[in-house]
Amino acid sequence: MVLHRAARARLAPFGAAVLVAAVLVALGAPLLAPYDPLEQNLGLALARPGRAHLLGTDNIGRDVMSRVIWGTRVSLVAGFASVAVAAVTGSLLGVLAGYAGGRADGLVMRAMDAVLSFPPLVLALALGAVLGAGLGGVLIALGVVYTPTFARLMRGQVLAITAREYVDAARALGAPGWRIAWHHVLPNAAPPIVVQASLSVAFAILAEASLSFLGLGIQPPGASWGSMINAGRGYLQQAPWIVFGPGAALFVTVVGLNFVGDAIRDALDPRL
Amino acid sequence: MAATASEPTGDFTRRDFMKACAAASAVSVVGRVRRATAEAPKKGGTLRVGFYIEAATMDPHLSGSKVDRQIYHNIFEPLVTLDVKLGIKPGLAESWQQPDSKTLVFKLRRGVKFHDGTDFNAEAARFNFDRMKTEPKSVRKGEVASIDSVDVLDSYAIKLNLKRPDAALLATLTDRAGMMISPKVVQERGAELGRNARGAGTGPFEFVEWIKDDHLLIKRNESYWNKEGGPYLDRIRYRPIPDDTVKLQSLQAGEIDVIDYVQPRDVAAVKADRNVAVVDVPSLADFAYQLNHTRPPFNNKALRQALAHSLDLEQIVKGVWLNVGRPANGPIPPTSWAYDKSIAPIKRDLAKARAKLAEGGQSGGFTFTMTTNNLPINIQEAEVIQAQVREASITMKIKLVDAATLLSDGNSRNFDMISYQWSGRPDPDGNTYQFFRTTPGTSLNWSGISNPQIDSLLDRTREVSSQAERKKLYGELTRLLQDELPMVFIVHPVEPKAFSPRVQGYEPIPDGMMRFKDVWLR
Amino acid sequence: MGRLVLHRLAATVPVLLLVTAGVFALLHLTPGDPIDAMMAESVDAEAKASLRKELGLDRPIHEQYAAWMRRLLRGDLGRSIRNGEPVIENVSRRIRPSLELALLAMAVSLLIAFPVGIVSAARRNTAVDRAGTSFALFGICMPNFLLALLLIFLFGVTLRWLPISGYTDPVEEPLNGLRSLLLPAVTLGLALAAVITRTLRSSMLEALGEDYVRTARAKGLSEWRVIRGHVLKNALIPVVTVLGLQLGTLIGGAVITEYVFALPGVGRLVVEAVFARDYPLVQGVILLIALGFILSNLLVDLLYGWIDPRIRYR
Repeated sequence: MVLHRAARARLAPFGAAVLVAAVLVALGAPLLAPYDPLEQNLGLALARPGRAHLLGTDNIGRDVMSRVIWGTRVSLVAGFASVAVAAVTGSLLGVLAGYAGGRADGLVMRAMDAVLSFPPLVLALALGAVLGAGLGGVLIALGVVYTPTFARLMRGQVLAITAREYVDAARALGAPGWRIAWHHVLPNAAPPIVVQASLSVAFAILAEASLSFLGLGIQPPGASWGSMINAGRGYLQQAPWIVFGPGAALFVTVVGLNFVGDAIRDALDPRL
Repeated sequence: MAATASEPTGDFTRRDFMKACAAASAVSVVGRVRRATAEAPKKGGTLRVGFYIEAATMDPHLSGSKVDRQIYHNIFEPLVTLDVKLGIKPGLAESWQQPDSKTLVFKLRRGVKFHDGTDFNAEAARFNFDRMKTEPKSVRKGEVASIDSVDVLDSYAIKLNLKRPDAALLATLTDRAGMMISPKVVQERGAELGRNARGAGTGPFEFVEWIKDDHLLIKRNESYWNKEGGPYLDRIRYRPIPDDTVKLQSLQAGEIDVIDYVQPRDVAAVKADRNVAVVDVPSLADFAYQLNHTRPPFNNKALRQALAHSLDLEQIVKGVWLNVGRPANGPIPPTSWAYDKSIAPIKRDLAKARAKLAEGGQSGGFTFTMTTNNLPINIQEAEVIQAQVREASITMKIKLVDAATLLSDGNSRNFDMISYQWSGRPDPDGNTYQFFRTTPGTSLNWSGISNPQIDSLLDRTREVSSQAERKKLYGELTRLLQDELPMVFIVHPVEPKAFSPRVQGYEPIPDGMMRFKDVWLR
Repeated sequence: MGRLVLHRLAATVPVLLLVTAGVFALLHLTPGDPIDAMMAESVDAEAKASLRKELGLDRPIHEQYAAWMRRLLRGDLGRSIRNGEPVIENVSRRIRPSLELALLAMAVSLLIAFPVGIVSAARRNTAVDRAGTSFALFGICMPNFLLALLLIFLFGVTLRWLPISGYTDPVEEPLNGLRSLLLPAVTLGLALAAVITRTLRSSMLEALGEDYVRTARAKGLSEWRVIRGHVLKNALIPVVTVLGLQLGTLIGGAVITEYVFALPGVGRLVVEAVFARDYPLVQGVILLIALGFILSNLLVDLLYGWIDPRIRYR
């Protein structure tokens, strides 16, 4: 078992490195990108990777490398923001359900089950159509899709914790409900939530890419890795770099984030 | 003379010679077409066709979708049909006359039977026109609106009494509005006809079965009335393949034999592929953007013109369409007799654009939103246009929507500039009237333009019957449209169709409809 | 046990109510309506209005919902607006390809996951294990649309070994049918294999650390005997859980795969129906998918409880 953890731990620095690199690239995009990602050069469309354009150009002559670099922002924002929305909303609902109990609990949990029974892609599609196109719509859609996981988790934690003695003791001493929630419940419930959140970010980034692939999400001329892959799909034979540039970036980022998520889980939850 | 005239000379019979002439004249008009001269057509085989969506209904009177038409032209026949130059030639009607501008008399072909065995005659024709006008769900009502009543003169002649002169009517009758369905099938089957068209048509092929989402099958009509040429194929199988890339790859992998459209980005590669034959079919379509005249900023004519002059149509056609099409000067395509090549497409002129901006009171530029479909080529075009207008200090935002939302936004005039792609009609009236005539309520006139000069021009084109006269009127209209700008026209696309090399005898007609009567498989 | 089942089934009713109400609300909030979509090239306002009236689309939303509910209670899911056929028929036509794809994908995933998972656990922390876990990671992190494209490109176009689009029913034509489903099944199966490999490996590691295993080893049994006889059975429990849950999601959720490979499945049906604003079809299908998901969850829970007597519900 110990050996097992050690092996995992070796990968964690790699994951951390990827995450740090991604954040740096996202923040430093204006400085790092060799070209303006929106600059079109129709004469140089579909150029092979070379000196001038490290990852070649796309179908209207934009530098793929620069677009991949700027796309990092979109992916990271989409991943972190949607998980943040889901974690906060889910946690609040979970606390409400676990603490209030009875009717409220039943209602919230039924609602969460309802959301879970929905095929997630269809839910995102419908929400996207209602909210209108754009990154905001995707964030909300993904937030909604992931909320039940957090809600259930938080509720479970609340139920487990409020059953413990020190809460009884606090109640007996006359502490108001919210105080108990703030000082006792939340700090103890936090670790599993953080673990779940860190594991979810990678999937949220993948999900955003899938949605962009289907045409939802960020509007042109902005680009996310998913929409770039979708746009490059028709050129797979002629100019595969349009797909592989963002594809590789997506893959590496998701792998790295997975490692980080695993490491956090190992650190915070030694039982597993 | 009498003895030798009927002898074949070597291998070449008189019929083959006539076919060779027909084939040769077809080649001279459009792209590469396989000639049927050297080899004799063989009977047999199943042609596998890939289309981009599923057909919607098998009832021509209720149909509103383009893909339906592709299938109809093989199992149903209209009264009159188109030739390669968009001229009108006899179909189920042998001949026609116009004794006056409000009367149209058709002499119908004898000896034609529907696939269910009943005769095609004047009664059947009248039944069809009545149904188009009175059936509540009929989508053809607008197309036959000018027809007041239909009289049966004798068993093979009908007279159409028109409410007003309609020079475009004959061309409309070359498509769904002129297609004849068996009255017996309609009466017996009713709404079922939408799913099952067995026995309903008169065409070279007849309906066999339709397994939704999988395939639609038609087979050769052994008792087809036209004994010249085909049909040669045993069966034709239509399959819906919504994904372009997959569709093309299916053709290249030999899984299907025909596809109805090759994306511009694939054209060069496909032409270089020896496993595939490509035929460029200049279409009747026009791709444009409608500008909303009922609200800012485009209720201001100077700003519309500023926009038009900041566009570089040649760059768009070259960079986005890869020259699979021509820059457009207006709604009328180059394939039409009404096309006036002396009118040039609006040229890019940034100085003029800026002058127009100032004239419109926005010398610092303005902002607007373009609503367009969520399809790769639309997105590309939008991005290129966005960059182009930026150079004239105009800021354009892009809003991507799905098809249903596009229609909804267009119909409710909830847009500044919205993408509109019209598949085109053989008569220029079909590309113009319903878009530019003042129309109250919901209509295809999404821009909301209401210009008395344009209105009177459009009305005259319907009244006048001489083609030369109408051509002059359409020329005037085109110039006026370039000034008033209810739409900015971008391109008249070419619709390249691709085939497996086994497919022979295809004759492309500019309406883009794939008619397989004389097609055979090697 | 029986009481538990009844209780759970009763609990699904409010969930389904929420789902259907949610779908209804979402659909009617999206701009555009099915009549416009169907009759795009026509401007006959009268025809459109009469069609709307016939379908009841001109009545207020809560009335439409109530009407739909009433019909549902009679067992009638309504008719699709696009093709006029009963929703049930539309679904039953499309469920077969989805089901076959799901089963094939699960078969592929098990074929891959079992050997890899077992060997990884047995040869823990060796190169083999690392290769196995790397593969699992790859499967989880690879976007499935990207994988689909690569597979099409490699096997369909370049090598031309397999058909890249369309569907042939394996029940009717076994060989061609399997060939047409192989690429999509591999696409879905690889991701699933990754998840199962991980689950299997970790549950096996856990089982391997148990007392009875030490006892068996002490008794002198070979490693493989130990695994086959004792460990595997217990390690399978979480795997069964995962599989069961995945089946539910695979059927309605393989949208992208179905789309890229042009398979006439249920996932694609829903998306097409949403784009066409075919309200009855979307509502009916989502209801059925949700029902299927809930039922499969229930089944898995029951199976779990039955297999492992240690786990029972209060």
